[in-house]
Amino acid sequence: MFLLLPFNSLIVNLLGISLTVLFTLLLVFIIVPAIFGVSFGIRKLYMKTLLKIFAWATLRMQRGAKEKNHQLYKPYTNGIIAKDPTSLEEEIKEIRKSGSNKALDTPEFELSDIFYFCRKGMETIMDDEVTKRFSAEELESWNLLSRTNYNFQYISLRLTVLWGLGVLIRYCFLLPLRIALAFTGVSLLVVGTTMVGYLPNGRFKEFMSKHVHLMCYRICVRALTAIITYHDRENRPRNGGICVANHTSPIDVIILASDGYYAMVGQIHGGLMGVIQRAMVKACPHVWFERSEVKDRHLVAERLTEHVQDKSKLPILIFPEGTCINNTSVMMFKKGSFEIGATVYPVAIKYDPQFGDAFWNSSKYGMVTYLLRMMTSWAIVCSVWYLPPMTREANEDAVHFANRVKSAIARQGGLVDLLWDGGLKREKVKDTFKEEQQKLYSKMIVGNHEDRSRS
Amino acid sequence: MGSSQSMSEEVRELVGKTGFSSDQIEQLHRRFKQLSGNQPTIRKENFNNIPDLELNPIRSKIIRAFFDNRNLRKAPSGLADEINFEDFLTIMSYFRPIETNVGEEQLEHCRKEKLRFLFHMYDSDSDGRITLEEYRNVVEELLSGNPHIEKESARSIADGAMMEAASVCVGQMQPDQVYEGITFDDFLKIWQGIDIETKMHVRFLNMETIALCH
Repeated sequence: MFLLLPFNSLIVNLLGISLTVLFTLLLVFIIVPAIFGVSFGIRKLYMKTLLKIFAWATLRMQRGAKEKNHQLYKPYTNGIIAKDPTSLEEEIKEIRKSGSNKALDTPEFELSDIFYFCRKGMETIMDDEVTKRFSAEELESWNLLSRTNYNFQYISLRLTVLWGLGVLIRYCFLLPLRIALAFTGVSLLVVGTTMVGYLPNGRFKEFMSKHVHLMCYRICVRALTAIITYHDRENRPRNGGICVANHTSPIDVIILASDGYYAMVGQIHGGLMGVIQRAMVKACPHVWFERSEVKDRHLVAERLTEHVQDKSKLPILIFPEGTCINNTSVMMFKKGSFEIGATVYPVAIKYDPQFGDAFWNSSKYGMVTYLLRMMTSWAIVCSVWYLPPMTREANEDAVHFANRVKSAIARQGGLVDLLWDGGLKREKVKDTFKEEQQKLYSKMIVGNHEDRSRS
Repeated sequence: MGSSQSMSEEVRELVGKTGFSSDQIEQLHRRFKQLSGNQPTIRKENFNNIPDLELNPIRSKIIRAFFDNRNLRKAPSGLADEINFEDFLTIMSYFRPIETNVGEEQLEHCRKEKLRFLFHMYDSDSDGRITLEEYRNVVEELLSGNPHIEKESARSIADGAMMEAASVCVGQMQPDQVYEGITFDDFLKIWQGIDIETKMHVRFLNMETIALCH
């Protein structure tokens, strides 16, 4: 088993043995608790230690920078205000619509048009894209990840050594460990659910299915070193309900599913995802759609309603935003899930960016790159709040209900409640002001003016 | 972040006067320092450092609004040369979102204040009326980005809009009646029914809950 070299054979042997023992011990310490759903508290301890180290590192940097008279830059944040990605036309139309009684097709210059420009001007004064990137003042805590820090210059030997040690630990120790765990988790899921699928239908099958699912998700949670705090667990979703949550990354699914047993909804993919999906559905009824079926809203609604009405089936997990949002705001919830008429259990998920930014910008990073980034961060720390169930009121329409749920989630998670469609992330959002905007505005007015004078 | 939790006297005072939370005041203070280059006051020239603002057609009016004594509540007319942080916050407070749980009176008051801010933007000579000249001036500025629009068309648009406003405020006018200008009350009348509460505010991100994650 061990490659026996003529010289240094003892050292190589020892090294090999100790590494194997180390890895096995760790796997045991991690997988066994995952199976039984208990925790040794190792991750919390890890988190506390890391925080202390970060605080020390930040202090060191501030001191070092003062000595050398360097300018300290604050890491890029998302800014202090939430800007609406609306376009000039939409907003002016909306303002005018709510005001005048005149027909919309003959708009002219109105006093209200000044609103849009005034507000945009104020927003840029408060917080503009270019100058906010660097601001020379108090440095927020540095988390020893150079990807989040613009300050990385040589400040002191100790700090650089610490950072280097951090890189070593993250890439050479944590990363292989996490990949091993992830691999274990996924393969156990596939194998486990397939095996459970062979059992005859009944309470034993359900019991086994639930525990196989939970166990594998817990292993995956440990694979990411996710430290999750659950609040208000008495409000957890029950059978026949729909669980609705805000969406920041694909990890959200793992986080929620490791604490509860849900039926997933989604499109069937090819490749590894497809294998996992097909295996999972053997053990318990998840709702998977073919690509063609996804476009058919009625079919989707029908199948979901069917699932929800069967009280023995599990609560469905849905992310109504439709895409990943960067965890500072909650965008428009698509109303489909709210039309079904089942009880909605809202869940708010908020990530702490200090240990690693969990947001998946799918137009920037592919899935594999994203997972790699996640696995080489220190940890994923987040909070999950289970909110009390909500039902649609008698004279409330689906959109209003969706907005109500969205506000509740945004309020709990401290996120800004935005009214606009998450789909804007993929389309090119019009920049606040370019020459074209002004031309567009003037065209709107003059064009209509000309029409009028012509008629 | 990382400084002590207790608010200093000044911050408490500012919270009371302007209605911002202590976190928001902290953030805005940082922004103020950035704009002023660490000086205690801001002058008009400091606004030239904001590239995005250059593209806004009414930038001169917006910048002017910061130094307008009426907005600063210091005098009924005139411009200040420079403003300190408290003045900065006073102007910013016109764009604070109105809380949802305030009474009717308070809501009306906030609305009026926001509309007054806009009125001052139009009424540049502080005489309490928006005259035809001032209106034309605003329209010309808004349309200034487009080189193809001549002054004449801009003027006629403004004239048409002014007539519209006049008919709302005064009703049908005699042919030789001169409309002197839109007063603040007329201005309010025009805005009746338009929901400006959501259009004229800037939303702050809530930074506090990040600390709750531990």
